[in-house]
Amino acid sequence: MLTCTGCSLLCEDIEAIIEDNKIKGTKNACRRGAARIKGCANRLVPSIDQKPSDVESSIKKAAELLRNAKSPMIFGFDNSSCEAQVQGIQFAQKIHAVIDDTSSFCQGLLMEIILQKKLKTCSLDDIRNKADVLVYWGSDAQDSHPRHLSRFSYFPRGESRQRGYEEDRLAIAIDVRESNTAKICKKHFYRINPKGDREFILALMEALSGKAPVNDAKNMLELAGVLKKAQFGAIFVGIGLMYSIKNDFEILTKLANMLPKFSIMPMVGHYNMRGLNEALFKETGYVNRVKFDEKGVQDNKYALIEALKNKSIDALVVVGSDPVLSLPRSVLSHLSSIPVICIDPCQTFTSKISSVNIPCAATGVESAGSAVRMDGKVITLKKIIENNYRSDEDVIKQLMGAI
Amino acid sequence: MGIDIGKFLKNPEFDILITTYRDIFQVEALETDRFGEEYKKLSAVITMSKNDLKKMEFKSGDHVKLSNTYGSVIVEVKESKKNEPGGVAFMVNSPWSNCLISDETEGKGIPEFKHIKAKISLSKEQITQITEIIFHK
Repeated sequence: MLTCTGCSLLCEDIEAIIEDNKIKGTKNACRRGAARIKGCANRLVPSIDQKPSDVESSIKKAAELLRNAKSPMIFGFDNSSCEAQVQGIQFAQKIHAVIDDTSSFCQGLLMEIILQKKLKTCSLDDIRNKADVLVYWGSDAQDSHPRHLSRFSYFPRGESRQRGYEEDRLAIAIDVRESNTAKICKKHFYRINPKGDREFILALMEALSGKAPVNDAKNMLELAGVLKKAQFGAIFVGIGLMYSIKNDFEILTKLANMLPKFSIMPMVGHYNMRGLNEALFKETGYVNRVKFDEKGVQDNKYALIEALKNKSIDALVVVGSDPVLSLPRSVLSHLSSIPVICIDPCQTFTSKISSVNIPCAATGVESAGSAVRMDGKVITLKKIIENNYRSDEDVIKQLMGAI
Repeated sequence: MGIDIGKFLKNPEFDILITTYRDIFQVEALETDRFGEEYKKLSAVITMSKNDLKKMEFKSGDHVKLSNTYGSVIVEVKESKKNEPGGVAFMVNSPWSNCLISDETEGKGIPEFKHIKAKISLSKEQITQITEIIFHK
């Protein structure tokens, strides 16, 4: 059995079909997971200034670039093992760098509140065994976390939910589009306008208080009635909701306070984003956007997007991430004027503009370690293919040594 | 042969609100080969309701130019298979949709990935290549 690193569900029931030391196929994995495990078509090769090199020379060059940097940033680690993440944090401490990751423009805000224990949460196993009302809010789990409904929430039998979705569970989708998850929820799909989540929450809070909201009173009172009757509820917060209420995030806490039977679960994207958030939180009290001088300090100006806009970094190390893919093109111009060092198993859009590329093993297939599932459970990642790729943890260690 | 006057006329432009979403097939293509044709085919697309397509006189398969203050991109337009009421168009989250994202964040580091205001017009240009996006300065 193999653990899938396709998303933060970290499914542990994957079988890999191996021929000639290569993965030819998988069983039980979703499309995304199967593709991740089989690996990318274009492996990263070591390079300096986009010219082929070797790993040792690339690490040496990266160390030279970082020695000359006055305000470097280390970004990523959401697709790395916990062990590599710890190395990454130590690396940032050593070179007095900023460290940030994709959670900075994704689930970080929610994760920090959850780790501060300001919101009630639970495990995915609790949800499978006990949950009767499931709310997918701004989250199309069927496409982003394809086995979420089948392994943990709507479809499985649980200790207290023997009859699963047929009788014991009810799924609700709140979204701007009729997603594949919304289709499963059928009449319990509530369509909202883009950025209409705050208005929806306010109306729902009115309905929960027993008042008739001004808009859509019938539907809101019906939804409030369903939520009030829940014995064990879960709200799965997707980035649709996150982005919509980012300027008034407290409103989610206010809603959660009115729903004491509900737990909040962030629909974390990358497989070990929560791992980095937890490791950084343990070290500094913050989940991302941290600069290390004497100690770790968090500030919005240390978010990658702000740092690129303000041109406040003079070197960027990217580990297991592809900011050129995921960031607005309007903020990318600064990347062409600073050295970028890319550490990844695969060629990425970022590796195409990097000064130095250092290939590493695909964690969970070519190197072992651990990762933190979206609910906080630590899951073991195995090595099932032997080859010469070094783990990203080892690459970071060597880079630290070279500096 | 007469002069093709049509090519001198500017195609009508419409205001459009776009939101982004995830698609399992596109993510699968990303994992396999983000430089491949399949990833481009599944990413460089805008999906609209039947009513909106009719109103703007587009048909599935047309190329359209999406543009705003932050950039522009050529993608294929498709009719939504879902029962969408219209007024909002959809793009899978990708470098193509990211061409149109504002850099305005109010200093908070989170752009408006899911609330994109743009102009849309029919185009005869080819779909924007990923290299044009990566190496754009």
